[in-house]
Amino acid sequence: MAEQPAAEQIKQFRDFLQTYNRISENCFVDCVHDFTSRKILDTEDTCASHCLAKYMKVTQRIGQRFQEYQLTQNEAMIAAQGKGILPGR
Amino acid sequence: MASMINQDEAMQLAAELEVEMMADMYNRMTSACQKKCIPPKYKEPDLSKGESVCLDRCVAKYLEIHDRLGKKLTEMSMQDQEVMKKMQQQQQQMAK
Repeated sequence: MAEQPAAEQIKQFRDFLQTYNRISENCFVDCVHDFTSRKILDTEDTCASHCLAKYMKVTQRIGQRFQEYQLTQNEAMIAAQGKGILPGR
Repeated sequence: MASMINQDEAMQLAAELEVEMMADMYNRMTSACQKKCIPPKYKEPDLSKGESVCLDRCVAKYLEIHDRLGKKLTEMSMQDQEVMKKMQQQQQQMAK
């Protein structure tokens, strides 16, 4: 991974941090409901843990489906080019 | 190599990134605690005692959750890095 140019690495790290912030907000809003104290309850802690794990799996799955979608889009485009519908060879 | 950055630049970028992400976190926390503590009735302009106390607790809890999730994420990404390293090592061995 050290072979990647620095700009690319920085972008990746930035995206990672952005995702981190998003997860925190999302899981907080969905899991924390008790404001009678400052302490995090065990149920809330567990919920947040599960929330994090699920979020990762969600992004993974969405990524897979989107990749598949892009592949079919690409194939359709190539086929259309071949038939002369679209410009470009 | 022109695409590599030196130590000083790296530190500066890291600092800038931290500031930006902290600001982003702050905005999200504000939004979340607004949702949690302030009912959208707006009968009066001032914060009630209950709302004030709720906000205090909300901030404390948000920061705690943010912290815990950050630790878990770091753990997970370190595990990923381990897996990647092992895979690379295996590939290198196979290529020999």
